[in-house]
Formats: sequence, C-alpha cells, structure tokens
Amino acid sequence: MTGIFLNSFAMVAGTALVLPLSAAADEARQKKAAAFVQAHCVKCHGPAKQAGDVRLDNLSTDFAKDRERWLAVRDQIRDGLMPPAKEPRPSADEAKAIVLGVTSSAGIEPGRLPNQGNLIPHELLFGKSAAPAELPYARVWRLNPEGYMGFVRDVFRGRADGIVQPFTVIPERGIKDFAGLYSIDEPTTDILIRNAETIVAAQTAHTIKDGKMSGKNDTVGEFVKLMDPFVPPTRQQLEAAIQLQFRLAIGRPANANQVTRLLNLYEKCAKVDDTPNAVKTMLQAVLLCTDAMYRSELGLGNADRNGGRRLDPLELARAVSLALGDRREASIMQAAQKGELNTKEQVAEHVRRMLNDPKIEKPRLLKFFREYFEYHKATDVFKDRPADKIRHIPSVLVGDTDRLVQSILADDKDVFRQLLTTPMAFVNTTTKTNKQTRMQELVPVDIVPKQDPKRPPEWLGGVDAVYGFKAWPNRQPVELPKETRLGILMQPSWLVAFSTNFDNDPVRRGRWVRERLLGGTVPDLPIGVVAQVPDDPHRTFRDRLTVTRATSCWKCHQHMDELGLPFENFDHYGRFRTSETVRDAAATEKNVDKKGKSLGPVNREAELVISGRIDDSGDATLDGIVKDPREMVRKLADSDRVRQVFIRHVFRYFLGRNESLSDARTLQAADKAYLESGGSFNALLVSLLTSDSFLLRADAANSQTQPFTGKETK
Amino acid sequence: MSAKTTRRDMMKTISLGVGATLLSPILDQLAAHAAGDERRAIRKRVIFVMQSNGMSPNHLLPSGLKPAPNGRWTNDTLEEVSLKDRTLHKAIEAFAPFQERIALVQGLSGRIALSDHSTNHGALGCYPASKGPMAQTIDSAVSDALPGTFPHVAIGYGGSTDVMNYSYSASGPGKSIPIICSPDLAFKSIFGSVAEGAGRKAFDRRTNLLDFMADDVKRSRATLVGEEKQKFDRYLEAFESLGNRQRELLAKADDLKKNAPKLGDKLTTSTSSLILEAQFEIATATLLAGVTNVVTLISGGGGQRFGSYPEFGIPDLHGVGHGAAYGRTSSEDCHVELRQFHTKLIAGLVKKLASVKEGDGTMLDQSLIVYLSDSGEGHHPNLREWPVVLIGNLGGKLKTNGRYLRLPQYGAKNHRTMANLYCTLLHAVGKPRDKFGIADPALKDIDQTGPLAELLA
Repeated sequence: MTGIFLNSFAMVAGTALVLPLSAAADEARQKKAAAFVQAHCVKCHGPAKQAGDVRLDNLSTDFAKDRERWLAVRDQIRDGLMPPAKEPRPSADEAKAIVLGVTSSAGIEPGRLPNQGNLIPHELLFGKSAAPAELPYARVWRLNPEGYMGFVRDVFRGRADGIVQPFTVIPERGIKDFAGLYSIDEPTTDILIRNAETIVAAQTAHTIKDGKMSGKNDTVGEFVKLMDPFVPPTRQQLEAAIQLQFRLAIGRPANANQVTRLLNLYEKCAKVDDTPNAVKTMLQAVLLCTDAMYRSELGLGNADRNGGRRLDPLELARAVSLALGDRREASIMQAAQKGELNTKEQVAEHVRRMLNDPKIEKPRLLKFFREYFEYHKATDVFKDRPADKIRHIPSVLVGDTDRLVQSILADDKDVFRQLLTTPMAFVNTTTKTNKQTRMQELVPVDIVPKQDPKRPPEWLGGVDAVYGFKAWPNRQPVELPKETRLGILMQPSWLVAFSTNFDNDPVRRGRWVRERLLGGTVPDLPIGVVAQVPDDPHRTFRDRLTVTRATSCWKCHQHMDELGLPFENFDHYGRFRTSETVRDAAATEKNVDKKGKSLGPVNREAELVISGRIDDSGDATLDGIVKDPREMVRKLADSDRVRQVFIRHVFRYFLGRNESLSDARTLQAADKAYLESGGSFNALLVSLLTSDSFLLRADAANSQTQPFTGKETK
Repeated sequence: MSAKTTRRDMMKTISLGVGATLLSPILDQLAAHAAGDERRAIRKRVIFVMQSNGMSPNHLLPSGLKPAPNGRWTNDTLEEVSLKDRTLHKAIEAFAPFQERIALVQGLSGRIALSDHSTNHGALGCYPASKGPMAQTIDSAVSDALPGTFPHVAIGYGGSTDVMNYSYSASGPGKSIPIICSPDLAFKSIFGSVAEGAGRKAFDRRTNLLDFMADDVKRSRATLVGEEKQKFDRYLEAFESLGNRQRELLAKADDLKKNAPKLGDKLTTSTSSLILEAQFEIATATLLAGVTNVVTLISGGGGQRFGSYPEFGIPDLHGVGHGAAYGRTSSEDCHVELRQFHTKLIAGLVKKLASVKEGDGTMLDQSLIVYLSDSGEGHHPNLREWPVVLIGNLGGKLKTNGRYLRLPQYGAKNHRTMANLYCTLLHAVGKPRDKFGIADPALKDIDQTGPLAELLA
C-alpha cells in the first residue's frame, strides 16, 4: 500500500497565490483589518493580557510581513471561533470583509487534503474579479487502487492469480484520490515486486512437449519464445520484448536509453542465472518503473499560445482515460500516437465520444457521486434487526441509489437539480439477464419469504417497505409517495450512511450540507471536547441534541445542526416517519406483573419537529427557516452558489487537487458550460477536461524556479 | 526452538562470510555476541500492542480494589498496591502466571488526542487525533534507539480488508508507517526471502533488479521539482532499503529458517481472530530470530474500524461500544471476552520470550510489552485516564515488579500524561527525552515534562 502524505504542519502545499491588487486597495484593506484587530482582539491579546499566549497588538499592518499570524487571525474569524461569544460580535459582513481582504492580500494556499478545498472563499472563485490563470506545475499522480488493477488487466489478459492490491487511499470521508497525497513506500514496493513476478510468470507460462515449447492461454507469444533455456535470445528479440512490455504497461514505446539500460540488466542477470530468468527479470523491471505506477503529467508537449506547455498527447490520452475509467482507452491512445490529439477540440471530441459510448466503461463517474454524496457508506453502519420487522439490507439501498444516479446521468438534463430533488427512486432492485431476450432487466433483490401461519411472522416488510411501498413496483424508477422523499439526500442509503448504530446523525448530515452544498467550513473537534449525545430513550433525538447549544459547542455546531435536523423526518433505517418513538417513563413504571416485576419498557410516539434553518450560507436567498427537508433541498437546488460548490467538487475529483485562485476561470467556464447545456454533466466534464487547468502545465524552464513555500518532509 | 537452545548457540552457527562491508548494526551485534561480548550484544526489545474500542479501567483492578465512584478517580497523590496475593480481573487473567512482572497503570491522561472514537496517531504520538501523522510516534522513536535488520515491524489486524493500515504509527511529520494487516504479506516480507528457498541465483537477480530500479527511479526523480520529487523519494528509498535488507537477511538465513512460523491456512485467512493469531506468531518469530527489536501489533484500524468478530458472535464492536450484548448478559461480557482473547495472545508471546535463554536470563528479561487501546479508556473516551499494562522491565530499567499504580487524577498537581510514560520509555532505552508530542493546553499549570519517576528504576 502506498505511503500517504497526510496533512501536517511540516508540509504546506502549493504556491502562495497573491491576487494582483492596486497598492491603494491593498492599503485600504490592511487599514481596515488592523482596525478590526484593534477593536475585537487586542483586549485579550494585547499588552495587558495575552490569552493563549497570543499577542496581536504588534501585528504588522503589512500582511506580507506578518503573513502566518494574519492567516491565523483570518481562520479564527472565518470559523466563527473568535471573538468569543461573551464579547461584542462583528457583523457577518464585517467578518466576511476581513476574511476576503486578508485572503486576497496575504495570499492563500489550497489545502492538501480534499476536505480542505473549501478553505478558499467561494466569492474569490466565482466573483467578478477572478484571478488571472497561473498554470499548474508538472506533476505525477500515483495510480489509484482501481487504476492499478486496470494496469494489471492491460499487461495480462488472462487470470493472474495471486495479485495483491498494493495501493490504498486515505480513510477520510469524501474524495480520496488526489495527485498530491500518495507516494510508494517499502512494503508497497515489496508487493509490487511480487505482483510483477506473478504477472511475468503468467505472461511467459508455457509447456514443453516433445521438445517443443508452447504458451498457455493468454500468454504473450513474443515473451514465450524467449523461455528456451538452450537458445539464448537475440538482441533483436530482446528489444522487441522490451518494446512490447512498454506498450502493454505504459502505452508508449521505450526510448533508446531505456532499451539500453534494460538490456544491461538482462546481461547482468544472464551472468548469474539462465536466460529465461534473466528475461523475466528484465520484463518485471518495466512493470515497476515510475511511468507505469504513476500518471505522468509533466507538460512535455508543445508550447501553448496562452503560455506554458501542453501535456504531450500520450500523457493527455492517459490522463483523460484515467479521469473517466481505470484503463487506457484504446481509441484516444491511438489518436495520440497518430498526432490527432493536438487541439482542444480534438480532445473535446474524444471526451464526448467516450462519454456517449455506453460500451466504454467509465467507473470513475459513478465513483465521483459515491464519494461526493457518500451514500455508499451505508454498508459500513452496523444495525440491529429493526423492531418493526422491516428488512434492512444496506447493500440493496446503495445499489438502488447507484441506479438512480446512473439514470439521472443517462438523461443528462438538469443533473444537479435532479440529484437533489427528483421524486423518483429505484426500489429494491438488481439486474438479471432474461434468458429469452438476453437483455438485462430489473428484478427485486429481496423478497420477504412466505410466512408460516403457525408462527409469528419473522418479517413484516421487505426493502420495498423502507421506501413506503407494500409491493415491488414493476415500473422503475418509480415515483415515491407524495411529499415523503426527494433526491439523494432522502434516499435511505444516504440517511443510513449518515446515521449511527442506534440513531440518526443530524450533526454529520448538517456538516455534509454545510461543506458539500454551501461550500462552508467546520473546524475540527477542539481538544478536550467529548462529542457525545446523551443516551436517553425517553427524549427525542432533537431534544437530546440540545446539549450542543452550550456556548462553547454552538460555535461550531451552529454551522451544522440546523442543516441536519430536517432529516429527522426519517428514522435511522431511512424510513419516513411523522412521529418519533421514545420510551414512556410513566407507562413503563406501571408495566409490571402482579408481583411488581417489570414486564418491559413501554414506548410512546412523540411529536416530531422537522424544521431547520439555513444560516450564513453566503447566498442571501437561502438564509432562513425551512419547514421540512423537502423545502430545504428545493431551496438549495435553486441556488447558484450551491450549484457552483458542486462544480468545485467535480473539479477536485477529476483534476485530483483542490482548486486554487488561478483556477477561477476554469471553474466559471465549467459553470457556464453546464448552464448553457441545460445542466448536462457531460458538458461540464468536457469543459473541465479541456480546460487550461487540465491540459497545460507551467513551462518546465520556469518550473525550475518554482517558488515553493513548503518545507520538505524529513 | 527448544528452550535449551540459547541465542548465543544459534548466533555462533551463523556465517559472517558475507564480508565486512555488509556488517550492519545487527550483524555487528551478532558478531559481538558470538565473540562473547554479552553485555554489548544483548538488545532491549519493546512490543506495543494496541487494541481497539477502549480498555475499561475496571479490567485493570485486581481483587480488593473497587471501581472509581462515578467513573472518575479523585486521588491527588499516587496510590499503589502490590499485586502479590491479589487476583487479576478475569479480563486479564491470562497475565496471572507472570503478574509479578507487570505494572497496571491508571490515571495517565491523554486529552490532547481526544476524538469521538480512536485517537489514531494520537495514541502513540500524543497529539490531536484528526491531524494525521503530525510527528514521530513512540514506537518509531523507540526503534531509533534499538535498531535491527527491520528497524520496526508493524503488523496486525486493521479492522477492514485493507492489507495495509496507515492510522497509528509515524516515523516523522507526514510519514505514516504502514502496518501490514495481511499475515501472508507480513510473513513474506520478513521470512520470504529465505523461507521460500529461492537460492543464490534468485538472490543475485533480485539484487540486480533492485539496483536497476533504484537507478531508474533516480532518473525519473531528476525530471521533477520541489514537492513532486518527494513522491519518488520513498519509492527510491524502498528499492535501496530492500536491497540492503535482503543482504542482511541472507546472512541470517539459518535463524530465519529455524524460526519461520508454520501458519498454513492462517496466512490467507479472512477471520479476524485467526489473522491476529497469525500476526502474533509472526511477531514472536521475528523477535526470536533477532531481526527486529521493536514491534507494533494492532487490532483495529483507527477511526471507527474497530474490527469484527462474527466467529465469536460479536459482529460489530461499535454496537458493543453502545451497549449491544449480542446474546450475552451485557456488552461488558463482549468486552471481557475480546480482552481475554487478546491477553491470551500477549501471554503466549511473553511465554515464548521467557522460554529462550539470553545471557544470564531469558529474552523476556530484556523486553517490555506496552498494552493499551487507541481509544483510551472507552468506546467514546474522555482520556482523563488512559489505562496501560506494562509487562517486563527492559533489563531492569523499569519498576514493573507486580504493581498496580493509580497516578494523581487529571488536573492534580502531580498529574502525569501519556507523554510522560513515553518519555519514560525513551529514558529506559537510552535515548532520553523529557517532552513528547504536544502538551495538553488544559494542563498548562502542571509540569508535563520528564519521565515517570514512579516507574523508572
């Protein structure tokens, strides 16, 4: 598995990107910020008192000279942590002006982790004064776990038993695969070498009968020829084998230098062992080289008229292939080799072709929606058998939502709004091949078995009942019962994914809405805080959650709880409800037999409150009370900001990094393409995958002087 | 290995004919041992065992002691009782045969690492749980002081199907140490080169391949700048260190062959308890073969990956943390059963170490086992106390002779933290440090530096 660079204080990613501002504007911002600090901070962080050992009266008014401290002040204000609640509060506009002012003048670095993408204020990316595009630098991107298995399938068509997945991704929620996160460490390398041995053994597997050698199924004929221990291979044969292995592993030919070095490796090995083993070692080396294990995006192509250099066509073809799928796509690789991938329009044509061809596998599309919404996490939440005897099978719920996403993508109209507000759903579905028509058709997964009339029923409802159906709907997707659920956030899978073993989890649901829809940030759990909702079966969850209203908790929970509470309209199995079952203390006390022994707890139905509140969203049309989850998602789906935040996440996933201020134009163009196409996700992807942010790299010569601000890891 | 065989006997049989240039610290150690320089040769060993889902403070209470009223101790000074003539809690009764060699430590805090569940790297690093590998963790720091062919063997069961876990151990800022969670891979990476009997030719070919790859990665690295270069640094280091290590392992082939565990189906099992059994056997064999002095064994993978034991009828440890009893009287029964399973594995390791003579005593005399949970005292910990079991005294460096210690409560003047315990370990292994990780800001009026005088001999 791969070494993971997690965020740490010693690793600061990226380059400080400073917006060009007029000196006068800069001075005005600095004066304003200094006045703010004087008014709100110096009382506790000044000459008389230095709370938390922090002193701010001596902050330089020049942001650049005191950058670290200014950024720390900004983060405290942005997250609402300072000034403390007992002190006079600045207005939201005043606080926002300081955050934007400091960010614009002192510069900002995109966070390293996917969940740190929102640290760049939305207004700076979608505001009118977008920063000029600075090109990203040359980079390499380690294959993700699925990409590695795609690589294995590319180099060996048959079954290669014993291949172990060497790579892993970060365990954090959300998007997993960023180019900046992964290296390859020693135990991983150990696995890669073993896998290479296994693959080459499979490529060269053969039998000898009557002195004649023949390959087994799916072996590579050119390699098998070299396995005769009594006939040393010719140089020409070795070179041909190297070139073939390069094409299989990397999709391009080896250069002369690489051929020479691999031949030297062969020679060295042939001195200590027989020639077939020497050949095998040489072939293994190709499978381990950096170009095989990493996507190379160095920008080795032609200079672009906008400055910088293009990815060379083969780099680009691989980048597009692996953006959408797990393997190199044959046609775009051929186009690159023929010199037909040189213009933006040629790239766009291939992206469109790949998106429109259902025969081309594009598993990374669905994966994006899984990582963005996280509904697939439903299978990670263990639950007891439901007391109401309605079957809970999370894998079926996840499959249903996968199908819903795919059907919305197939329609490709107003995709984001549909995702949030569709009244349709797939219910308890799987696919099966019809033996007569040979077509795939939808069938129910879970059928409640016939009950034995002599025994109490084991189940009162199957997965259909979770959605509010008594029987399996024959036509799917099916419209859900009116005013119950809308969109992915009310799919049982999403609700279960954001639940705990025994309860709903409105805090994490609210956090999801804050971060993934509103583009906001929520500080990490502070040191010394035990995040626990009291277990008390007599009270509704909403009531128990009032523990977070304490001043010290509310500073952070104000960003989450009210956005998650409307989903109390559903229980933690994802069923729609209009009341909440709680323990009835008085009735339980009375529920005793003649000897006074308890006969068990008695429950009652408590009133359910499903309203919530959107605050400090950054979009004035959104802020205010929402009466239920349906009203909330409809409002959110109407918001430009929310749509743009979605686009920021699409950018992160498909470009493998957080957006920087320099990507503002790419993002705005993507948003425009999406709107002008009537909400086509395909159009959005074409825009992103043909953007300068994707296609171009800063000129290599300039890269040598890249102004790195981060310290190197030890 | 029979109990009669001493490490000295074994070492004398090892050929050192591979040349002086290959002498690493560990070979140097073997040479010293073979030459009779016992004092120089005997290395200390530290084994960290971390089990998910919290360690109930009550499991540490020997007979005669009652649980804390309202779940919180209120002593302002050290309270101590001898374990002599006391019975251990049934959850840890597997330690009874050597209870005169253990210290049960209560009252250390670790709130800097507080999280809703696992403290992840914070457990061994004494820093916030949610920040990734902010700095070196104690297992890695100890391994710096006790080098071996493998500086640090980190294996276990990660609570998921991932074969590698990156949640607990770190060699420095941003550098998680991978913990191998597949017995098959752990076995191959430690014993594979010799146990597979690949022979000299294969060894030479592999050496050529590793050298070629190191050169190849260096060339690729030269095309990158800044942080991008670092992505290739570890790949380069990997080929270089695999090359060096396989030379050392070849020199120790006999030792490895003798000790290689016979694991059969356990190598590839997906049953949690069997994975753990296999990993404990591998860890034991690795220590006996003398190829490492520091081992981290994990059970659970950080975050909410507590693990699952359907084979014991305990399918979900999160459920247990929230009171699910899975057919028992209460969830506590599940906690006790799982602790009994883990303590038996630890006891097996201890017994093995005690069976191999070394110098005038046994391997156990020079060893220490640190047993704790990555989520302190509970499923949702508050980390005002972090129960720890210490077994062994590291060659007399620690006072672990059958003691139960309850250190002053959180906030008391003489209160101590996990960082103090880790400083103690570093003093004991000869790399003394008086600060470890990040201090608890809520204890700013208390001296949080230095080792635990109560434990250091």
